[in-house]
Amino acid sequence: MAVITLEGAELALDGNVGRVDILRGIDLSIEKRETVGLIGPSGSGKSSLLMLVAGLELATGGRVDVLGHDMTSMGEDALARFRRDHMGIVFQSFHLIPTMTALENVATPLELSGKADAFDRAASELEAVGLADRLHHYPAQLSGGEQQRVALARAAAPRPEIFLADEPTGNLDATNGQIIMDALFALRDKHDSTLVLVTHAPELAERCDRVVRLADGRITA
Amino acid sequence: MTVRNALRFARRELRGGVRGFRVLLICLALSVGAITAVGTVRDSIENGLSREGASLLGGDAEITLTYRFASDAEKSWMEETAQTVSEIVDFRSMAVVDRGDTKERGLTQVKGVDGNYPIYGSVQLAPAMDLDTALAGRDGRPGAVMDPVLIGRLGLKIGDAFALGGQEFLLTAALQREPDNAGGGFGLGPRTLVRTDDLANAGLLAPGTLFESAYRLKLPPGAQPDAVEQDARTSLNAAGLRWRDSRNGAPGISEFVDRLGAFLVLVGLAGLAVGGVGVYAAVRGYLTEKTNTIATLKTLGATSGTIIATYAFQIGAVAVAGICLGLILGSLIPVAFAPIIESRLPVPIVVAVYPAVLAEATTYGVLAAAIFTLWPLARTETVRGSALYRNGADATLPRPRLRYVATTAVLIVGLVLLAGWFSGLMVLTLWSAGGLAVAFVALWLIALATRRVAKVFSQSRRARGYSALRIALGSVGGPRSEAAPVILSLGLGLTVLSAIGQIDANLRTAIATNLPEQAPSFFVVDIQTHQLQDFLSKVRADDGVSKVETAPMLRGVITRINGSPASEVVGDHWVLEGDRGVTYSAELPEGARLTAGDWWPADYTGAAQISFAAEQAAEMGLSLGDVLTVNILGRDIEGTITSFREVDFSTAGIGFILSMNPAALAGAPHSHIATIYGEAEADVRLLRNVGDTWPNVTMIRVRDAIARVAEILSGIASAANYGAAATLLTGFTVLIGAAAAGEPARTYEAAILKTLGASRRTILVSFAMRSAIFGLSAAVIAVIAGATASWATMTFVMETDFSFEPFSAAVIIFGGVLATTLAGLAFAWRPLSARPARILRDVD
Repeated sequence: MAVITLEGAELALDGNVGRVDILRGIDLSIEKRETVGLIGPSGSGKSSLLMLVAGLELATGGRVDVLGHDMTSMGEDALARFRRDHMGIVFQSFHLIPTMTALENVATPLELSGKADAFDRAASELEAVGLADRLHHYPAQLSGGEQQRVALARAAAPRPEIFLADEPTGNLDATNGQIIMDALFALRDKHDSTLVLVTHAPELAERCDRVVRLADGRITA
Repeated sequence: MTVRNALRFARRELRGGVRGFRVLLICLALSVGAITAVGTVRDSIENGLSREGASLLGGDAEITLTYRFASDAEKSWMEETAQTVSEIVDFRSMAVVDRGDTKERGLTQVKGVDGNYPIYGSVQLAPAMDLDTALAGRDGRPGAVMDPVLIGRLGLKIGDAFALGGQEFLLTAALQREPDNAGGGFGLGPRTLVRTDDLANAGLLAPGTLFESAYRLKLPPGAQPDAVEQDARTSLNAAGLRWRDSRNGAPGISEFVDRLGAFLVLVGLAGLAVGGVGVYAAVRGYLTEKTNTIATLKTLGATSGTIIATYAFQIGAVAVAGICLGLILGSLIPVAFAPIIESRLPVPIVVAVYPAVLAEATTYGVLAAAIFTLWPLARTETVRGSALYRNGADATLPRPRLRYVATTAVLIVGLVLLAGWFSGLMVLTLWSAGGLAVAFVALWLIALATRRVAKVFSQSRRARGYSALRIALGSVGGPRSEAAPVILSLGLGLTVLSAIGQIDANLRTAIATNLPEQAPSFFVVDIQTHQLQDFLSKVRADDGVSKVETAPMLRGVITRINGSPASEVVGDHWVLEGDRGVTYSAELPEGARLTAGDWWPADYTGAAQISFAAEQAAEMGLSLGDVLTVNILGRDIEGTITSFREVDFSTAGIGFILSMNPAALAGAPHSHIATIYGEAEADVRLLRNVGDTWPNVTMIRVRDAIARVAEILSGIASAANYGAAATLLTGFTVLIGAAAAGEPARTYEAAILKTLGASRRTILVSFAMRSAIFGLSAAVIAVIAGATASWATMTFVMETDFSFEPFSAAVIIFGGVLATTLAGLAFAWRPLSARPARILRDVD
């Protein structure tokens, strides 16, 4: 059963040099529990495709369906609540809230969904990624690898049905990159989730069930 | 090489515009602008006063005598010395309008003039006519002109009749402008102008009544006022004489403007401190953003000196622009406000660009810019190339080196001393600077405490589940918190406003609420000795009257103490300024208490003895046995202080500094004063009964006098509030600057929160809460600091009770919270409306 379906999805953005077509008619279907690697050169539109699926960007044409919801017809707050309840997202630049400690960052999505045990669960997620001794550190006090592990724990804390990862090892060295990828796949297995992974590295994409190649805003393979 | 490189780097960086420096520019412009505006207004008024000195005074020189006219010998001297002499008499009286069944009464300050009045300037009347015509009258009745306020109060029309004492006058015109009305000082009643000759039958200038006579002299061309003054003091009976000349036509106003101007400059300095906080925050924010550039320059071989010079040039360029903008703004504001200022003053002001004012404001601006930028600038020394490998913007920079701290301290001391020197109020400046320093430290501590408490709460179990609150607390308590600049800037502005609010409210309470509970309903003056017994019987017979006190009233000047000029012995003391009330009594008055010495026997007829007010005697350093020379009606009376007694001036009852034994004042013509205590309902009846029976007696309703004092106070409070408003405006600029500077961080935070599932409402509530927390902290400490300053002012300066005014405090707290919340929400639009993907991708 497909949990993510894109039909003729398009994305065009207005920039300083005029309108730029980022995605041109994407058709893609991803099954439940499937792991999919999106690869392609810089500017091919793979991160934009992930943003459409996350509802962080709205398609300017076509249709994007996630878990039976039409993402193009939902309002901003409805999309936020949908992500809160169903998705875990990891970015290349970690995107932790700088004014919050590691524990607070991980607890935030659980708090937003009204979980009474938000902080206990956040602490155990951080423990699971090996950061039990970094709970009260601010992001600026953590290394890049540690920050990304906090971001992973934050994405996993709500036990999402879908993991979206945008080049999660892009800012890390090989060793830390390996640790993150292992942790990401372990969490996917643990929560039995669907995973969409954007990466430049073919060897990481190879760990996925399926690899989708993009170039110039279109799926090529 | 360093300088050239630094200049080149600075120019390149400034090519990108001054966006990062906008707050610095505005803060300096506002602070310097406020100081320039206040200085320009002060100098414009003073220049106007000095230009119009002769017309304000009514002559080139003026000799004032207290309740007597000049003797023939004195008049001869004046006529020989001056080309023209004009005699003026000034006293309080009641204007009475007889409408058959009812009589309307109003307190008025009567001025009797001769044909030479006014020597300088002109009287403006409505309908337009010359003064001679107006005062000539009609049909055997002399003419009078009156202040439009009193005309309205008495319901008079031009052509109606009214009485002053026993003389009927015809109202011929409304008095629009009196050229010499600024010299007279504080008057309780509006003016009525008549010919002195026409008062002959009024019965108002009998011996012993309270009046002042003034002789205006038009001196021959080339006459030196100081030489003529010397001549006057030797040729005339100098003791009871007061001399003024056109060098200082309106000393009261001039001194008041000078004091108020100096005070407002000090308020401007508070504004400068608030602006300084904005300058500090702007420079710090700018340099933090430049951490990567600085680290790159260092990696490429730039020395710390080059880096500091690079940014010092940039900041210097923007500071110069800000100061220039402030000077222009501050010079233009008085032009715009000139008509409003002039409407409250007796003279046209001379608005111009005053170089001394510009120099003063520039000095303040340059010093403030240096003080508040040196610290963050010096911190660039500590940025290392390795910052490039970390998130530079998050780096917590250590304190700058000692030499920069020491330089900052020297600059602060220099600024304070200069401010004292410029304002001429060194002690007040030092107190203000001390107060500001204490407020600064208190606000800084409260900012630290707010951060600490917010951090603890954000991590406590209680905050869990309230995501908007916890996010807000996390932001207040976490890194990059805006707490310090926002709380400091807004807090300082609110502290000034809070202090003024508390002082104003306390003064009003002291005057309008406390006093009337114990104060009399009426002061009555000019009761002749032969009228006294009948007056007492009539007033006591009224059921509404609970108490009447009377005392003989003379006026005298203390000229010498133990044979030496009084001012040389005790220096400046208000008791020696002009003439004071003097009374006599055979027995110690009821309720009075001696603190030292003995009261004279009831039948004592020996050498004059004096009982002096204990508190004032202590202030002046007088002791029992001291001999005072008191000039009464031109006659010197020497008396020995034989007792001190308690005198309470706060209840507005009869209180005399000086009381003598009756024989000492025997023969001196005098009248009596009385205070009547009673119900408010009896006021109109008493006014009618006493006024009808004794037209020469003047009754001053205390409630009216209090209203007049409150009116004057409200004028002073509004001037002070303008000063505070300038400070607050600077505070808001800093606040908005901080909110604008924090916008990118909030946009980023909002993007992440939306990604994690936060609705816009949650995010908005969180933003509003963090702003409200800042506002609340700043306002609470402002109320505490303001109340402390007010307590000190009321206790030590006004010597009265202080009571905390909750309404003023509530307005400050509500205003503070509202201002920060609105400023925060004004910059919430972009964070809420931005698409998360765009923001997060920009960072990637």
